[in-house]
Amino acid sequence: MTTYLTGSDVDWECCWDRDVIALEDCPNIQEGDEDLLHSRRRRILEKCCDCPNFKRDLNRFRESGHPLAPVFILVHEEHQRQKTQIQSLVSFLDNKTLEVRFLHELGSVLQSSVDLEEVLSVALTAITAGKGFGMNRAFLLLIDRDHAMLNGFLAIGPRNFEEACQAWDEIAGNDMDLQTLAQSFRLNKLSSERAKFHDILEQLSVPLSDEGHILIRALDGRHPLLIEDAFHNPDVTPGLAHLLGVDTFLLMPLHSRNRRIGMIIADNCITHRKITAEDMHSLETFTFPVAFAIERASLYDRLQLELNRVTEASNKLREQQELIVRMEKMALVGRITSSVAHSIRNPLMIIGGFARSMLKTAPASDPKRDFIESIVSEARQLEGVLDEILNYSDSLYPTRDFWDVNQMTETTLKDLQGLLQQKECQFSFEPDLSIPHAYVDIKQLSYCLRTLIINEVDSRSGNHLRIRTEGRADGIRVSIENRDCKVAQAELDMLLSPFAITHDMGTGFGLALCKTMLEKQGIPLDVFAPPEGGITYTITLPIRKEEQS
Amino acid sequence: MSRLLVVDDEANIRLLYTEELTEEGYDVVTAATIAEATEKLQEGVFDLAVLDIKLKNESGIELLQQLVKDRHNMPVILCSAFSCYKDDFSAWLADGYVVKSGDLTELKQEIARILAKKAQKAAVGL
Repeated sequence: MTTYLTGSDVDWECCWDRDVIALEDCPNIQEGDEDLLHSRRRRILEKCCDCPNFKRDLNRFRESGHPLAPVFILVHEEHQRQKTQIQSLVSFLDNKTLEVRFLHELGSVLQSSVDLEEVLSVALTAITAGKGFGMNRAFLLLIDRDHAMLNGFLAIGPRNFEEACQAWDEIAGNDMDLQTLAQSFRLNKLSSERAKFHDILEQLSVPLSDEGHILIRALDGRHPLLIEDAFHNPDVTPGLAHLLGVDTFLLMPLHSRNRRIGMIIADNCITHRKITAEDMHSLETFTFPVAFAIERASLYDRLQLELNRVTEASNKLREQQELIVRMEKMALVGRITSSVAHSIRNPLMIIGGFARSMLKTAPASDPKRDFIESIVSEARQLEGVLDEILNYSDSLYPTRDFWDVNQMTETTLKDLQGLLQQKECQFSFEPDLSIPHAYVDIKQLSYCLRTLIINEVDSRSGNHLRIRTEGRADGIRVSIENRDCKVAQAELDMLLSPFAITHDMGTGFGLALCKTMLEKQGIPLDVFAPPEGGITYTITLPIRKEEQS
Repeated sequence: MSRLLVVDDEANIRLLYTEELTEEGYDVVTAATIAEATEKLQEGVFDLAVLDIKLKNESGIELLQQLVKDRHNMPVILCSAFSCYKDDFSAWLADGYVVKSGDLTELKQEIARILAKKAQKAAVGL
């Protein structure tokens, strides 16, 4: 009778024959796997089958000559083979999952963006990032339809080994997802990368009509093309090989539907890692969403441009319509004021004129002289009111242009010279000769300046007026200063209110009208009267059209 | 004595001008229309003309342009109820512009200024 080895009389090296073991009994069980110490079945399947001690036990079993030993060993070997295969499949599946996740992330970013720079940043970052396709360097070429050219547009990657180490260390130090990485590239490196590869990008320019050129052939072929041994490849021009400086590179045409969008050239110029068929397949899957996103972003850019043009045209049209309406209103106001002027001013002139004539010949003792004086005074006041109403109607629609304010001020002062002499008013004009032309309605500005000066002269005799122009950052400042007077706060408050009578003539409408006129042009009129005396009127004029309110 | 031609469609205004300007020592001739003014201009020589702009269905500016075209060498003052014409380039042909007022002081000063200037030019042979 043959005796075989059994569990009870052999001191086995592996722990497979024991139901419960201690942690130090198995070299393969680590902390965290303590539940295997009590589960013999799981321990055998997960640990013992791979353990060298178990293999030695198996050998001893075989050497014992037991008829089941070869079968048992065969089953163990098959189990091990299948286990390795499963592990390989799991690893493959994990890689594919990562790839799908990456493509999903890439797709989400590309689908959601209409910003061309963002799309390009994402695309090039995806090609070169370790988490992406892991190529060392990528060039993007885009089609210029107007000039029928394929032109270098953007590139990413290191130009030498040192730069590569630095960039990869930096990326490894910041655990960023693709979108963040692309965003960082766009914000911090897009311009510098473009400048860094400017010399190459400038030379990466091929006419679309050059059908023999490898780039155009790849573009028309619609599929990725791996170029190997570029320096000796008859299909590659020596110029292109030398420009890129690598013997192996990948050409990936970008097509959206049937439209040619451009081309991506990718290589491993630093690591010289072989570009595999799998790389090409993955990149081919990637080129379609990139091409589509680039086309969509370009179309969006053009759409924005067209939209801006349409908006601009619409604004111009609206301005023209408003101008027409304004001109119609102006014509109507003009007709009405013209009629009023003619209907009222002529009779007023006749009444006032004849009353003055009569007054000249009426003796001082004539009891009717007071009546005639009243007629003269009332007619004069009515003429003043009429002037103000007509000026107000003019003020409704200012006509602005660029004018020399110094010249306007000089002309106004010249016109008022007689009045100023009559009122014994001294004045000085200090022009700032460096000021530019102001964008104003010169007629209205001249009226305002005139009114402000007349107001000062009429209300306060024997004064000295100092008129100045001054160039400032916020525009041109015109000031009228009277230092020889003292204005009460109440009078100052009323000064710019309509119909506030501050002196013996007129309605007091003049200064309020000036303020309204200037405000309509977006010009502030300020009055400053310090308690110690003096009054200063300040007008700040715009020098550019956009300064208008 | 300087001769003035006053053209205005309002009879009372013509009368007022005549009274006031005669008193100032001018020989005043008046006209109500352009045709009448043209007739008066053919009859004699004037030192200065005072034109109203709005003459019923006519325009004093037209007469002014006609005077310039005919090289009348006669100064013209536009006297109007409208201040807006002062900025109209067609009114720049005139030597002076006065807005109508019951107080004729400004008009009288303008007439005196222009006639003095004319006399000064004549003195130096211009």
